[in-house]
Amino acid sequence: MSSFTITIDGRPVEVNPGQTVLQAARELGLDIPTLCYLEKCGPLNSCLVCLVRINGRMVPSCGTRAEPGMVVESESETVHAARRTALELLFSDHVGDCLSPCNLLCPLLMNIPVMIRQIETGQLKAAAATVRQALPLAAVLGRLCHHPCEKGCRRGAHDDPAAIREMERFVADEDLQSETPYRLPCKPPTGRRVAVVGAGPAGLSAAYFLVRDGHAVEVFDRHEHPGGTLHGCVARGELPREALEGEVARLRDLGIRFHGSSELGRDITLDRLAGQFAAVVLTVGSTAINEAEGLGVRLVEAGIKADPNTCRTELPNVFAAGAAVKPIKQIVRAMSEGRMVAECVSQFLAGRDVRRSDKPFSSLMGRLDPGELKTFLQTSSLGPRVSPCAACAAGLSRRDAAGEASRCLHCDCRSSGNCVLQHYGQVYGADAGRFRSKRRGYEQQLQPGGVVFEPGKCILCGICVKLTEQAREPLGLTFIGRGFDVRIGTPLDRSIDEGLQKVAEEVVHHCPTGALCFAKDGAEHLPHGTECGR
Amino acid sequence: MAELDLQFTAETVARVGRRPEAVIPILQHLQDHYGYLPREALEKVCELTDIRPSAVTGVSTFYDMFRHSPVGKHRVRVCRGTACHVSGAERIEDALRRHLQIPAGTDTDAERQFTVEPVACLGCCTLAPVVQIDGTTLGHSTPEKAPDMVREFLATAGHGKVSRSTEEVLPTAPEKAVTIHVGLGSCCMAKGSDQLFHALQESAANGGAHVHVKRVGCVGMCHRTPMIEVVSGEGNGRYFADLKPEQAHALVQAHVRPRGLWRRALHGWERTLDGLLGDEPPAREQVNRLEMDRRDPGVKAFLGRQVHIATASYGRMDPLDLNEYLLYGGFMALRQVVGAGKPEEIIATIERSGLRGRGGAGFPTGQKWRVARGQPGAEKYVICNGDEGDPGAFMDRMILESFPFRVIEGLAIAAVAVGAHEGIFYIRHEYPLAVKRVRAAIAMLEQRGWLGEKLAGTDYPLKLSVMEGAGAFICGEETALIESLEGRRGMPRLRPPFPAECGLWGKPTLINNVETLAMVPWIVRNGAEKFAAIGTEKSKGTKVFALAGHVQRGGLIEIPMGTTIREIVEEIGGGAPAGRRFKAVQIGGPSGGCVPARLADTPVDFESLRAVGAIMGSGGLVVLDDSTCMVDMARYFLQFTQAQSCGKCTFCRIGTKRMLDILDRFCTGKAQRQDLHELERLAHQVGAGSLCGLGKTAPNPVLTTLRYFHDEYEAHLQGRCPAGRCTALIKYSINPQCTGCTLCAQTCPVQAIPLTPYQRHSINLDLCTRCDGCRKVCPHGAVDVA
Repeated sequence: MSSFTITIDGRPVEVNPGQTVLQAARELGLDIPTLCYLEKCGPLNSCLVCLVRINGRMVPSCGTRAEPGMVVESESETVHAARRTALELLFSDHVGDCLSPCNLLCPLLMNIPVMIRQIETGQLKAAAATVRQALPLAAVLGRLCHHPCEKGCRRGAHDDPAAIREMERFVADEDLQSETPYRLPCKPPTGRRVAVVGAGPAGLSAAYFLVRDGHAVEVFDRHEHPGGTLHGCVARGELPREALEGEVARLRDLGIRFHGSSELGRDITLDRLAGQFAAVVLTVGSTAINEAEGLGVRLVEAGIKADPNTCRTELPNVFAAGAAVKPIKQIVRAMSEGRMVAECVSQFLAGRDVRRSDKPFSSLMGRLDPGELKTFLQTSSLGPRVSPCAACAAGLSRRDAAGEASRCLHCDCRSSGNCVLQHYGQVYGADAGRFRSKRRGYEQQLQPGGVVFEPGKCILCGICVKLTEQAREPLGLTFIGRGFDVRIGTPLDRSIDEGLQKVAEEVVHHCPTGALCFAKDGAEHLPHGTECGR
Repeated sequence: MAELDLQFTAETVARVGRRPEAVIPILQHLQDHYGYLPREALEKVCELTDIRPSAVTGVSTFYDMFRHSPVGKHRVRVCRGTACHVSGAERIEDALRRHLQIPAGTDTDAERQFTVEPVACLGCCTLAPVVQIDGTTLGHSTPEKAPDMVREFLATAGHGKVSRSTEEVLPTAPEKAVTIHVGLGSCCMAKGSDQLFHALQESAANGGAHVHVKRVGCVGMCHRTPMIEVVSGEGNGRYFADLKPEQAHALVQAHVRPRGLWRRALHGWERTLDGLLGDEPPAREQVNRLEMDRRDPGVKAFLGRQVHIATASYGRMDPLDLNEYLLYGGFMALRQVVGAGKPEEIIATIERSGLRGRGGAGFPTGQKWRVARGQPGAEKYVICNGDEGDPGAFMDRMILESFPFRVIEGLAIAAVAVGAHEGIFYIRHEYPLAVKRVRAAIAMLEQRGWLGEKLAGTDYPLKLSVMEGAGAFICGEETALIESLEGRRGMPRLRPPFPAECGLWGKPTLINNVETLAMVPWIVRNGAEKFAAIGTEKSKGTKVFALAGHVQRGGLIEIPMGTTIREIVEEIGGGAPAGRRFKAVQIGGPSGGCVPARLADTPVDFESLRAVGAIMGSGGLVVLDDSTCMVDMARYFLQFTQAQSCGKCTFCRIGTKRMLDILDRFCTGKAQRQDLHELERLAHQVGAGSLCGLGKTAPNPVLTTLRYFHDEYEAHLQGRCPAGRCTALIKYSINPQCTGCTLCAQTCPVQAIPLTPYQRHSINLDLCTRCDGCRKVCPHGAVDVA
């Protein structure tokens, strides 16, 4: 039989006999999600996230052979709803957080556990990269942030939360004082110019993220020196002047140009900026309604009128963010708004739809019971929280920082950013908490060979069972039990390591979630939202 | 602990084989021998065979019959079938656990005397609720009777008194003798038919040779068992029902005609003397009182509508008497087709008959045969699917127990039609009698040379074997059944390809249900047209149903397709028990639905049932009266499917569990309105997304109850259970009618009612387990449930 045509979502595609609907869809460039499919293993038909609709029936595309004339529905609302439900069902029985509570609570979404692992292992350069990736003025935040992260820290349920802000400050200070400070990579120049009006926390943050996106950024401020409200902090002795200046110098190094003493309405006008620059970002701080005429945009009671989803004002290429739009008390929140507006501007300049990004997706395990907390504590130092002496201005010493880092429970997932389930959870906008029910207990098996098995994260795809069978592992892995209680394990009550004598590397690599990992995994930074690694 | 005897393991391996597919039979032998699967034995199996450790662990943890820790000396199984559930099985299990002092969270008492475990369905639905202690089945149990049941068991069977076999080959009746037919299906035996049978045999042996006691299959009238039919030489039968073994002597005496003049005179004189001297009325008079009048309206109604094809000559034939089967036209059909060399004609006949699969989905049988026939290759298989697992269904068990030769004949015809030379019976291990009888029947045929190299004396080779299931409902699904036969966990494969194209060992495989195959010889013998004349336009012939639940006359019935639900429940079954109202029927088991009484005029055929949201299923028909909570019913079935899900695909593994979570919230008064919407939405998605039939149909009981009994869900949202069934939502109290007789206080198993003679009693609701014992025992109607 020669090749024939099938139709997927109205588009014809040529397929060879024996090919599956999934293969055909991939040829069309459709991203049908699969968790249990690995070409080497053949279709296992277990996850059922790859559903498509054929003749009114939902079938898994990975195991369905294409037949001549087949009409397939893939990217429709009904099919997506079914796939989303499959993902949500998997999440409802997925014991583990993709992102740690500290990470999720950070308005700038810094990957705190990764930073901590880097501090613990002495990789300070890497730690600086992790910090600077997320924080615009790290040394400033390391001192002034109101650290919501520490409120969510699970260590707090045992004794005290990890001293996250102090560790952050330690990394930033080390980096500032270093002879070769970490230099953030910027994207290739886009040739587009963006003006940021207002050099307070929101404006500096916006400039920081815009310049990293490859735009030419100029910052205007009515004061002589950039910093806005941060100058007040310096004046009150909460922030050393060197820290602020050191961070501003880093921004200049990135190519941001500052124009001091340039007040909107007096020295510069919005009209002209909007004409000269591809986009203008207003981060002028809290603005009283009577100051409106100088600005050239409409004000409402809270501040400048801007669409909360796009940060756009009523003028086509003018954006606004931060305290200029609505009152903001915390510096880190203002910086988070700055990051958002930068993202919207970049989308606008790229000609894409403008929409501020959703919160990152994460499976949520919720509160730990005392037994589970104990499991996590097994690999952590039991020492008390280390704080720098209150009297001296210095932060943590290197030793103290490493010691404090060893208190972290690492309750994030080693596979975050490298997990197919998390990836499609995000893509499909899955609601990880759709099904409220009592979850399983958290378990972790640390193996001498370095494999970490977290059964609660297993989605029973069967890939590991198949791979060990194909490799003729002496013991291999198998399904144990039936129905909802099926677990993966090594036969005859042996350990996971004994089951993985030949193909541990391959099995761990192909695990679609974080159920099987190496203990060493998760130390590198995989920024969220990057292409899934598997 | 004593050194484990591994010699048995080695012997088993030597006997059963070393191939990977031997894993299930080997584990079954080990389980029977050791009472559980000791790890040393499992390691030994891996060492001695080609069976991989992953298969040993995977398989032994998949099937219910295997245990990994030692059990108590006696195993108490509490049936959780539908009929048992609606008759209070849970309360009985609670009572047994309490009586045997089994700690919460375990199933065995500290002394390892008893292990109490629920079992999906024992298939004795008309005796509900049913408990099985070791090999002894006890019907109509109650929580109050639990202690007595255990005591009685220990006093008899528990002390090494092995019940006698009813399975040896018996001689054919001598002509002109009076023959007493005793129904010996496994549920008749649970009501004591086997004891009656032995008592009758003994009495007959003592009293002379003119009475022949004969074992026959299921009589169908389960509500009247133990039951016998006395057939005199001329063939007129008289029925005697509800008998006890003690009455055997009288029954035999009444029909005995001793040989020889002198003995006859003596006999007559003894009888007269009995009548004059004894307190007891003479035997004949006693016996007359036991006779069941065939013109009795109940009997007439029960039998009147029935048409017997799969169950032809029910209650007449000795299941294992091959000569008798031949006498009733047995193997005529097979001989007709096997020599003719025209398999196409057989298939055409089956197609013309309109026969559709009786296992549930109703796929046209002839079409299935044609596909299997059309596959290339010489190696093909035929399988008889006897893994009847639906709670509330026992038709296939009864057919296999009563008519093993008929099913074998049907399977042999199918084999000839599709060109297969190997056939397998896959029968669930919960049906030991069915397994035994089919094995015995196969052995008999092999001995006669009718099976094996020369099927029915022709050159057509056909080998038949029996594989016992190991306790997994999902293995009734044909691809899971194949996985199980190949020695794996019964996890279904995606279809297509269908087994008829690519089945056992990758070869074309025809799988038919027991009842379907039992119809085949009749169709071949009587012609397709005669079969097609029965039933409706699209559903031809008859269907066997297990009628049970809240109905006066339960039993096994075979009726023409198109009979209405009302005719079945009200005419055949005699309606709900006195004082109760017929509310719904649950049809099709966990894949089916609850059809409300107002739709009782729905004819029973594949299409009509589907239209009302149920399915034909395998034939379980459980009648529900107004004491049934429909939300609880939905939850019951979800519990079943969820426990039986193989766990392979996301929708079934987790989806059914989440549906059950929601239903649990309803039954405990914790549901919120959004749960109602989520339940419905999820039910549709689980139905659409699941891989196999189990998951696809699991939402049916939920969807039908949502559709027809929405008001009950609403009531549960408000924290009320209108049927007074959901224990978390009901409260017991004692009203002023109480005379202080203390019966309730004496009955209460948890001392929740203080003993206050001559005063109105009260119930401590914190202690009360809602076992309903006080209400049942109160002679004054003083216990209220609200």
